[in-house]
Amino acid sequence: MKNIRSIILFLSFAFTFSIYAQDISQLTAQCAANAGDVMYLKDFVVKLDAGTPGGAPPTARFALLLSKSVVYRLSICTAPNSEGEAVLQLFDMNTLLGSTFISATGKDFPYFDFKCQKTGVYHVFISFKEGKAGEAVGVLSYVKKL
Amino acid sequence: MIKKLVYVLAVVLIFGSCRSGEKQTSETEFEVPDSVLNTEVPISEDVMQNIIQNISSPIEMAALIKELGVPYSNKYLSSTDRVNKLSNSFKQSLNLGIYGADLGYLNMYNKTSAVIDYISAIKTLADEIKVGQFFDFTTLKRLATNNQNLDSLMYISVHSFNQMDKYLHSNNRSNLSALMITGIWLEGLYFATQVAKDAPNKQLAERIGEQKIVLNELILILETYKKDKQFSKLLDDLYLIKEHFNDVNIKIIKGEPQMIEENGMLTIVQNDKSIVEITPELLNKIINTTEEVRNRIISL
Repeated sequence: MKNIRSIILFLSFAFTFSIYAQDISQLTAQCAANAGDVMYLKDFVVKLDAGTPGGAPPTARFALLLSKSVVYRLSICTAPNSEGEAVLQLFDMNTLLGSTFISATGKDFPYFDFKCQKTGVYHVFISFKEGKAGEAVGVLSYVKKL
Repeated sequence: MIKKLVYVLAVVLIFGSCRSGEKQTSETEFEVPDSVLNTEVPISEDVMQNIIQNISSPIEMAALIKELGVPYSNKYLSSTDRVNKLSNSFKQSLNLGIYGADLGYLNMYNKTSAVIDYISAIKTLADEIKVGQFFDFTTLKRLATNNQNLDSLMYISVHSFNQMDKYLHSNNRSNLSALMITGIWLEGLYFATQVAKDAPNKQLAERIGEQKIVLNELILILETYKKDKQFSKLLDDLYLIKEHFNDVNIKIIKGEPQMIEENGMLTIVQNDKSIVEITPELLNKIINTTEEVRNRIISL
């Protein structure tokens, strides 16, 4: 009986995981489609726990290589079951280039375009507002050459 | 009783994990990775975060070439005839990348009739290195055959490559991922250099010159595996290209980024400028060496 319980537990976990993978896959496809008439290049799947009160919000970081004379679009889509709302930021070394959330105005954008003038390594940071927990997908798309 | 229960639950699990419209076999998913795994260096979570994404995309170079108004030519593509001769995971992964870039080029020019050969070749190689479950062959074949929904064809192709790449990383097979990325990059550089040879273009020459930055990153990754003879040989080939790239001068002039909000759209303009200095003689050397290296690799 113990064996049966273990097997059921294992398979339930595996089944849940496969549904999760399917949901994320759908969210990625939806996020790529929402980016508009552009070409999907890459996605960044993020699942973060809530941060500690007063501490820095947990952040996922991705290094990516972008090319000169290309307009890229960076989109963010928060999974429906998330507690927090995801924010995507683009950095060049320590310089913040752009964000889907402008704290000065409190405005959110589903995506922003980046007119790249220098081939090199950049960083995408994804976090959730107020350090809440959540799942999200960031998408990098190719818009056009400059 | 237990056996019956396991069987029923396994069937539920397998069906639950299948995406609609996709025939998926699970038999290859749990097989032990091949011998190349023995040369693998485990990668920590911190290092994983620093692995560069998008180091070479199967479509970016093709998109640039198309936007420059260069007509389609099948002479740039690698033949799919040799797929079954690729005997080990090293060659299979490298060529998986090469065919991935070819597929990107074909998709970019909407050459759907030729796409079938390439998706078949990719599926064969992906199955060989046990990542075939991420390549949605059935859907891609249907889209290509019916010449419909080309955006989906492009999305699924690129997404499949990303999924294969992620899976290889998360299963301590980053060595194969590095080879796949190298194949994609090399074929992209081959397209660009061949087009530059046929129809010289300043913007394309600059883009080729900037590959110096990409190649340096790629070599850093590949050097992790240089103890393996095949990797070492591949690196020797890439060093030949790098030798020429060392003479490419890239100057950066710093500027402040600008944020523009227009019609509800946010655009970030980077005001840094990079100036790429590449002489016609140097470009010719890069063209010739790239051709030599790429042709050697596809004849392995």
